[in-house]
Amino acid sequence: MMNLALYKREMKGSIKLLLIFGAIITMYVSIIISMYDPDLMKTLNSFAEAMPELMASVGMKADAATLIGFMVSYLYGFILLIFPMLFCILRGNALIAKYVDKGSMALLIAAPVKRRAVAFTQMTALISGIVLLVLYSTILELICAESGFPGELDIAELFLLNGGLLCLHLFIGGVCFLSSCIFSDTKYSLAFGAGIPIFMYVLQMLANVGGDAEKAKYFTFFTLFNPDGIIAGEREAAVGILILFAGAVICFAAGMMIFDRKDLQI
Amino acid sequence: MNAIKIENLVRDYGGGKGVFDVSFHVNQGEAFGFLGPNGAGKTTTIRHLMGFLKPKSGRCIIDGLDCWNDRDKVQARLGYIPGEISFFEDMTGAEFLKFITEYRKIGRKSRKEELLERFELDPKSKIKKMSKGMKQKLGIAAAFMHDPDILILDEPTSGLDPLMQNRFIELIAEEKKHGKTILMSSHMFEEVERTCDRIGMIRKGRMVAVDGAAALRERHTRNYTVTLESESAAEAFAIDFSGVRDGLKVTVTTKQSLEEIFMDYYGGEKHDESGAL
Repeated sequence: MMNLALYKREMKGSIKLLLIFGAIITMYVSIIISMYDPDLMKTLNSFAEAMPELMASVGMKADAATLIGFMVSYLYGFILLIFPMLFCILRGNALIAKYVDKGSMALLIAAPVKRRAVAFTQMTALISGIVLLVLYSTILELICAESGFPGELDIAELFLLNGGLLCLHLFIGGVCFLSSCIFSDTKYSLAFGAGIPIFMYVLQMLANVGGDAEKAKYFTFFTLFNPDGIIAGEREAAVGILILFAGAVICFAAGMMIFDRKDLQI
Repeated sequence: MNAIKIENLVRDYGGGKGVFDVSFHVNQGEAFGFLGPNGAGKTTTIRHLMGFLKPKSGRCIIDGLDCWNDRDKVQARLGYIPGEISFFEDMTGAEFLKFITEYRKIGRKSRKEELLERFELDPKSKIKKMSKGMKQKLGIAAAFMHDPDILILDEPTSGLDPLMQNRFIELIAEEKKHGKTILMSSHMFEEVERTCDRIGMIRKGRMVAVDGAAALRERHTRNYTVTLESESAAEAFAIDFSGVRDGLKVTVTTKQSLEEIFMDYYGGEKHDESGAL
C-alpha cells in the first residue's frame, strides 16, 4: 500500500519545517518550564489579573498551581497548537494539491502505483510529521520538567494530555489532507485547508475571552480538546478526544477515496 | 490484436471543447500518429488512455484492460511523455531519474545510461535551471527507462533541436523494430509522417481521418516542374525553393499544412477512411 521511494522524498521535504518548528517549540517549552517558579508565578498571575482578556485569549489563565497546570496554561493554548497546525497546513497542501496544480502528479500516477497507494503514502508522511512533532514536544517537556523540577510532573497526565494533543493535530491534518485531495487548485486547497483551522482557532481565542463571546466555543473543534478536562480525568474530555480521532480517520479515508476517483487534468 | 483501443469516447467541456465520439485503435507493434491542431483534443484523449480522466461515455482499452478501472496494471507496461512535463523542481536530473527508478521499482534493467548517452544529457544540474530541451530529454529518459511495451507520447519532440529530433525519431524507429506499440501525438505533419505507419487526425474533438501515412502523404503533396530561362536562375530557384534541378527544369514539392489537410476533410471529401476501424 505504501511506496517507500515516495515516502522518503516526502519526509525529506518535511525535514526543514520539522527542524524550524522543533526549534521554536524547544525555545518556548524550555523557557516556559524554567519559568515555573512560585515567585514568578505571582508576577504572571498579576499580569493575568490585570489583563485577563488578553492573557485568556491565548489560553493563559491565572490559576496555574501545579507544574502541569502551569504548562497547560502557557503551552497548550498557543505554542503547541499553532506550530503543529502550521505544519499540517503547509505539508497537507503540498502533499497532494500542489502536485496536481503543478502537473507533476502525472509523474506519480503514470506508474504502476495505485492512486490509493500514492494518497496513502502522502497521508503517512503527513501523520509521521505530526507524530514526530508531538513526540518531540513530549520528550522535551519531560526533560525540561525533570531536570528543572524533579518529581514535580505527573508523567501519566502528560502522556494523556499529549495523546489528546496528537488527536487534535491528526484531525487538523485530516482536514488539510481532505481539502488537498478535493481541490486541484492550490488556491482553493489552501483556502479550505488553512482557512478552516485558522478560523476555528480565532473562534477559540474569542471563546477564551469569555462573556458573550464564550458561545463561540460551540462553533470550533478546538473546544473538543480540553487540556484541563483531560488532566482532571473528565469523561467529556475523553469523548472530545475520541470525536477528534474519529474525525481524523474519516477525513483521511474520505481524502483517499476522493483522490482515487477524481478526474485529474494533468 | 489491438494494443490500444478507444471506443466512442466522449468528454464535453462545453463551448465546443472536449472530445466527441472519438474511436480509433492502434495495432500491436504499430506506430500511430495522432495529429491535430492545438486544442483539438489530443491531450484530452491521451489523459483518458492514461487513466487520469474517467470517460463520460465510451471506453479506452489497452491490452484488453480498461484504462480507468485497471489503470495500475495498464501503467506497468506504459511509457508516457506528457505534453507539458512538470518535474519535481527541487531535484537534480540525476536525483529525479533515481527517484523514478525506485518509485517504479525498475531495478537494474534500467536503460537510463543508454538513453542519457543517446540524447547527450548530463543530468547533474537542478531541474529548475534546465532549458526546455533538457527537460524534454529528461522526460524522454524517464519514459523509456523501464523499457515499456507501449509508448504514449504527447508531442514528444517539442523543445528539441533538429539534431535531437532526429535522434528521437531514430529511437522510435528502433523501438518499433523491437515490436513496441507507439501512439504519438503531434501538430507537425512531417514529424509524424516520418515515424508512423498510420495517422489519425482530430479536429475540434472529432476524428476526421484515420489512414495509412503513405496514402495521406501521397494525397496531400503536389509536385510542380518549372522551366527557368537560364541555368543560374534554375540553380538559384532550386536553392530558394528547395527543389530538384535538372537542367533548366526545377521540380518543387509542396506539402499542405495540417490545417489545409483538415480543410480537405471538411470540404466535402468522402469520409470513407475515417470510419475504417
